[in-house]
Formats: sequence, C-alpha cells, structure tokens
Amino acid sequence: MAEIELKSARLIQLSHISKAFGKVLALDDVSLELRPGEMLALVGENGAGKSSLMNVLYGLYHPDQGELRIKGERVRLRGPKDAIARGIGMVHQHFMLVPTLTVAENVVLGREPTRRGLLDLKRAQQEVEATCKRFGFQLDPTARISGLTVGSQQKVEIVKALHRGAQVLILDEPTAVLTPQEADELFRVARGLSAEGHTVVLISHKLKEVLAFAQRICVMRRGKMVASVAASQTDTRRLANLMITGEEESAAAPSLHVTAEGSAAATTASAGEPLLKLDGVCAGPKLTGATLEVRAGEIVGIAGVDGNGQRELAEVVTGLRPVDRGEVRLCGATGSLDPHEARHRGVSHVPEDRLLHAIVGPMRVDENVSLGRQEQPPFARGPWIDFTGRRERTQALAEAYDVRPRDPSIPCGRLSGGNQQKVVFARELDARPKLLVAVQPTRGLDIAAVAAVRRKLLEEKARGVGVLLVSLDLEEVLALSDRIYVMFEGKVAGERPRGADERELGALMLGGAAHG
Amino acid sequence: MAEPEAVEAPRSRFAEAIWASLPSVLSVGLSLLVCLLMIAITKGSLSIAGSAYLEMLRGGLGDFEAFGEAGVWTLLTRPWGEAATKAAILTFTGLSVAVAYRAGLFNIGAQGQMTVGAIAAAALGAKLSLPFGVHAAVCVLGAAAAGGAYGIIPAVLKLRRGVHEVISTIMLNWVAISLVENWLVVGPLRAAATGDNSISGTDQIAATAALPRLLSDGSRLHAGFPLALLAAFAAWIWLFRTRLGFETRAMGQNAEAARAAGIPSARRSLQAMVLAGALAGVAGSLLVQGTELRFPATLGAPYGFDGIAIALIGQTHPLGVGASALLFGILRAGGTRMQLLHVHKSFPELIQGLALLFVAGRLIWQWALTRRAKRAPAASGPPAPAAPAPPAPAAAVPSGGGA
Repeated sequence: MAEIELKSARLIQLSHISKAFGKVLALDDVSLELRPGEMLALVGENGAGKSSLMNVLYGLYHPDQGELRIKGERVRLRGPKDAIARGIGMVHQHFMLVPTLTVAENVVLGREPTRRGLLDLKRAQQEVEATCKRFGFQLDPTARISGLTVGSQQKVEIVKALHRGAQVLILDEPTAVLTPQEADELFRVARGLSAEGHTVVLISHKLKEVLAFAQRICVMRRGKMVASVAASQTDTRRLANLMITGEEESAAAPSLHVTAEGSAAATTASAGEPLLKLDGVCAGPKLTGATLEVRAGEIVGIAGVDGNGQRELAEVVTGLRPVDRGEVRLCGATGSLDPHEARHRGVSHVPEDRLLHAIVGPMRVDENVSLGRQEQPPFARGPWIDFTGRRERTQALAEAYDVRPRDPSIPCGRLSGGNQQKVVFARELDARPKLLVAVQPTRGLDIAAVAAVRRKLLEEKARGVGVLLVSLDLEEVLALSDRIYVMFEGKVAGERPRGADERELGALMLGGAAHG
Repeated sequence: MAEPEAVEAPRSRFAEAIWASLPSVLSVGLSLLVCLLMIAITKGSLSIAGSAYLEMLRGGLGDFEAFGEAGVWTLLTRPWGEAATKAAILTFTGLSVAVAYRAGLFNIGAQGQMTVGAIAAAALGAKLSLPFGVHAAVCVLGAAAAGGAYGIIPAVLKLRRGVHEVISTIMLNWVAISLVENWLVVGPLRAAATGDNSISGTDQIAATAALPRLLSDGSRLHAGFPLALLAAFAAWIWLFRTRLGFETRAMGQNAEAARAAGIPSARRSLQAMVLAGALAGVAGSLLVQGTELRFPATLGAPYGFDGIAIALIGQTHPLGVGASALLFGILRAGGTRMQLLHVHKSFPELIQGLALLFVAGRLIWQWALTRRAKRAPAASGPPAPAAPAPPAPAAAVPSGGGA
C-alpha cells in the first residue's frame, strides 16, 4: 500500500462533474475536494445526487463532463477495480457478501492468496486477522457471514475495503440498519480510521448523526452542491433548510422540518376499543410468541433489529402468514385469516417492499389503485371493470395525495419511489381501514415525502384508526408512537410508553444485554 | 416539492396500441426480409425469391389475376379456406398459451391438450348420433372439456407440490400423445375395417359432427374460423374488461402483490390453466371436425407448439394473437405454392421461427425505438431498459435478506 503524504491538502479533487441519465441531470457541475484524514458527510434528499457523485468517484459512473484528480494526478476510472487500485473503497447500503462463506473468504474474494494454484486458506486467514488487528476490529476470520449481526457484517465490508488498501472509505447510508449502539461503534471505528489518516465519507440524510460524526458537511440538492459547511457552525435546522430549499434560512422549511423530525402531535386521543390482540402468536421460525394489543386511535410502534420477527408479525396481522399457535383477535373476531378476510375486517396494509408486495409495476396507476378492492364500486360494476369510476376515483386520489404525474394511465412502476408510496397510501387509506399496518412506510423517501407520510399516519390516528407501525428506524418509531413494543428473537421483549429512552430501547433490541 | 418528472403527452389508445405492436410488426417484417434474402441466395436470384413470395401470397390470399381472367370463385375461396383453417387452429393454440402466460404460467402443453381435445372430438363425432348443429357443438364442447381437464393436472401439480408448469406440461405432452396415438387410436377407438380397406386412425365422424362449410364446395372455410375470431374477442373481453381477468393479469405480473390484495391466486391459476387447456382442446376439435374428419394415425402438425410462437409474436394479447395467427395462416397456406418455383414449402415456418426470435429480442427493439424517440424530442417512449439506473435506486432495491 502506497503511503500517501498526509500533509498534502488535496487527496481527491472532483471538478465540475456533470452526469445525466436520460432527461434527468443527476449531477450538475459539482465540485468536491477530499483531504487526507478528513471526516466528511454528504447530505441531501433522495435523488439529490449524493450516491451518484460517490459512484463517479468509485468508478461506477463515468461523468459526462468534469475531471477527477487523485493526488493531483488526473485520472479516468474505468470501473470500481481502477478505483480500488487507487485506494478508494466503498461500503454499499446493501452488503455485497456471500453469506455461506467465512469472514476471511469474503474479505479476500477476488484476490485470494494462492499456493500452487490452490486457495491458501490459512494465509488468507492470517492476512485478514492482521488487517483486523491493525485497524482494531474484533472479528473472527473463520466465522460465517450468515451467523453475524448486521453490524458485524458491515465491519466485514469495511475490513474488505481496508484490506484492499483503501485510503478513502465511502459509507453509503451505513446506519440505516444499525441499532444506536451499533451506530456508535461504527462511528468509533470511523474516527479511528480518520485519526490514522484515512478519509471517511459518510452519505446520509440523518442530520443528527451527521452533526455528531463529521468535521465538514456538504449539502447537495437536485444534482448541485449547495453548501459546504463546518459541522461546528451549523445545526439540524439550517441543514434541513439547505437540503429542502437550498438556503440556510427559509420561511417555508421549518414547518416541514418539524414534521419531518416528527414530534408526535400532542393530541393523545384517549385510545379506544381494542382492535388487535395477539396472545402468544407463533408463526414460522421467526415469530415465536408475540403478545400485544393495538387500540383504536393510537399508533403502536414495533421496534427491533432487522430480522427479529417484525416482518412476520405484520404478515400475520394482514393474513399473509398462517398462524401456528396462539390467538389473533382482529376487529372483534378470531377466525383464521387470509389477505381477503383481513381486508374484509378492515385492515389496510402498507408493506415494506412496495414493488414486491403492493404494486404491480407494469400495470397502470388506476389499476393499482383498484387492487384489493377490484370487486367493489367504484372499481367494478358486477363482473365488469368500471373504467370511468376507476379513473375518476384515481384522479381524485392523485389530486388529494399529490401524486405526480397525475395521469392515471401510466405504468405505476415508472413513478418515482415517493409517488409509488403515495399511490399505496392513497389506496390503503381510501379503503377506510379500522387498522392500518405500516411497515417501514418512509423507507427510501425524501424529506418532503417522509413528512407527508408521517402527517398521514397522525391524521389517521386522529380519525380513530389504530396504526401498527413497524420500522427499523428507531427515531421514526419514537417520533410517532404512543406506545412501543420492542421485538427480539421473535418475541415481544418489552413495552415502553412514549418518550422512552433511546438507549434503553436499543438495549432491549439487543436482547436486554446493553453493550456500549 | 416539484420533482423533475418526465412529463409525457398523453397518447390516444389507438396510438398506444400501435406503439405496443411495433416490435412484433418489425420482427415479422425483418424475418420476411431475411427469408427473402435466404431464398435469393440459395436460388441465386432476387427475382425468383420475389416471385416465390408472390406465389405464397397467391396461395394464401387467392389468385386475383387468374380470377380476373377466368372469373372462377374457387380461385379465391380455396386459398381463403386453407388460410382460414390454419389460422383458426393457430388462434386457438395461441390463445391457449397467451391466456396462461397472462396468468404467469408458461403453458408448453398446448400440443398435449390439443391431442386430448382432438381424440375427444373424434370419439364423440363417431359414436354419438345427434341432429345437425347440436352434434358439432357437442363435439367442440367435449374437446374443450377434455383439454381443460388435461390442463388441471399441471395446475394441481404446481399448486399442491410446486412442480413447475413448464416441466409438467412438456412431459404431459408425451403422455397425451402416447396414450392417444399409441393406445386409443390403434386400440379401442381404431376404425372398423370395411371390406379390404384397412383405415388408419379412428372412424370417420358423422356428417352432422363436421363443422359446417361456409363457402362453396371448393373451399374448406368452416365455422371454426368465425369461432376462432369470436374466441379471440371473448378472451380479450375477459382479460381486459372483467374483474376476473384483471385479477388474473395482476397475479401474472406480481403474484405477491396480488396475494396481498386478497386475490385467490390458487383459484385464478387453476381457472387460467383450465381455460388454456380448453382453448387448446378446441384447436384439436377444429382439426378433427374441420380438416381430417377423423383422428388420423398421428396428428402430425405441431400446432400446439406453434401456439407458443403465435402467442409471443402476438405479445400474448388476444387480438394480437388473432392477427399473428391470421398472418401465419395465410403464409403457411401459401407456402406450398412456393414449390412451383422449387422453393421449399417450410419457409413460412422459418419465417415464424425467426419472427419469434426477433420478438424475443424485443428489448433491443424497444431500446432502438426509444433512442430514436429521444433524438426526436416530440415523441417519447418507455425508458430504455438498458440505460443505467436512475439516480435514486434506493427506493427500488428490495430489503436486505434479514427474514
């Protein structure tokens, strides 16, 4: 690994980079400099161009215009391989690990040490162990990826990048899937790397953690770099303003910001009759005994680390997953559930993965709006599709929920993620549910869309709808919920009222044993 | 928040249909051109190839010049009859594949279902004696029932045991052919020998069971042709205008979302497969009641497999299937006439095969077309699938495999 001159002011210079995808200008004359040992955060809404810019640096995208200099030398990266060779590493939001292989095997994958043409596993393990030791990671090189927690898997990704000689480490939304404790650990590691002279770039839209982590914060908006500020000289409000309006002080943004940050409306409507009661419900290997209750007019949050049975819980309530044991009392009845029956009893569902579970991408927007109620007016008249009724209802909903473009005849899959989510919300709430099951409802949305979704959830609650909110984003659960259940290994590990301490919840999410 | 949405001018439904059918039209055109060149190369003359194509059209659409001179109607009606007979059978097998495809099932079993339908029609046509009109209808319905029942098997195998329908339908094809041709036709249903003539195949069906001819004696154009057009239209109504069709299509395009919406996917799959089998069964009955008038020793013509090509060239849209069946019915009926110029009659099949190949490369067509559309900013097409991911891919990426 080539030692670089730590004192050189510019390690990497991106100058006047532009990149267009079809009609959309993803990057519009963006310049950015990275200094050695710097901890930089890149913030902006979804689609602002953060990831595109970093993908240019990582060699995944070729810029249409502009130049890239590494250590003063002008370079053209033909692909990630070039970037890695020049000391640039990236940890993607979705890990690129082979779950059946060990830590060491994953780290050396693609550049395995060989002896007489065969993989030298022992040397691989020694090398990886040395790298771990050098950078202070506590990882067992012989452990299988599938047995590691998400936080540890992320460490493996970082070790992989460092093992290949990364001087610049790009972390793309690294805390999205971590508990607060794991996030703290990640930032501790990142600070250590920075102290050693590595440059760390954090892509994020969580402003609090950005302020806690970075020395310098660059704000992007609609493909442009709108500001580069020292972390010590700004705050969440000013950053949010920059992200939304491009200006530090703005009249319109603060209200948006407050809602986005989510302080639950103080209207603690006295919770009504119980809508959902689970008693020791087991379903499949992941859900092993859930007991909880949701009443009318309250938002009940489900917190937990990914994969602890939250998803299965939502599937049970919406009738998608059969119950093995235990009792489900839903809207006054206990009979067995299927999706049709659940909808019939008044359950609406905003699933985690829109494109997989909520939307038929190639179908038109109005067809998607009718999905689930395709046999009722105004979507059907007897056995026939009611084209006029369907179009009119869709247009009304598109207007009410600000779906863009308004045209009900374009394929739903061609809308942006935020607009697809609006279609799903419009459809599910138009059914006038008694109970709304929302799983990760703001995942992948930009600030304005997040604010809109959260506002909707609070509105529904005020109308007397019971909301079961499953989210991996603890901040979101805390901001919206009246009560919070924490799930751990398929069971409800605890119940906390609103305003519970984030650390305490984090400890519960890890099975009660707090570390860090 | 004004997002940079690509604002598209709304297109009329007609323009939309034209746009959607372009890849198929271009594919067929290209395959016609390629085959023309192949004939020209093998014959060493472009004009021979041109004349061969002209003969093919005469054989499929009618010899208008000769008719102009002689004024004999059969010069037109006989080719029409041949084209229509083939087109009708291809329409039914094509619809069989298309209907299953829309439900998310790839029915490779149209050949087997057609065989089962054909033997049912042949048996009912020979054994029953019913009045004119009723008899033919009973045979067609019997064939539909037999084909539909045969379609239940792969559906149940898939729903109960998770057997992929491509595997089961392929294998069931051979089961059907063996059962029918190697047992029923040479065994229980074998034609009674009359005098010295030993006839292969089953007994001839009663005259009342034959599909009535619609034109003069010289033409084999029979009631199966309008029936096929009707079926294509009905399938279109069912798929695109009714609630059940909507549910079936939703299931075909995203089974998970359909299930989450409360659509009974198992029932819809079963219905679609039964319908697919029934349509293929009717194709068999048309072959027996319109052309062969018995189940011959072997059914021979692989219309069931052709159905796959017809369905895909027609973009699994019932009306597209009808159009492509009609086109290839005409070409195939005319193919024999190419032999007048010593060009092999199997060229229409080659055209069909190439067209299928080109349609399968539809993505390439779409890409080429959108590139053109992009250059001319007035028009706008679907986004090129080959283009790099748009700048906000996070929304579309499925969650990490935690569960």
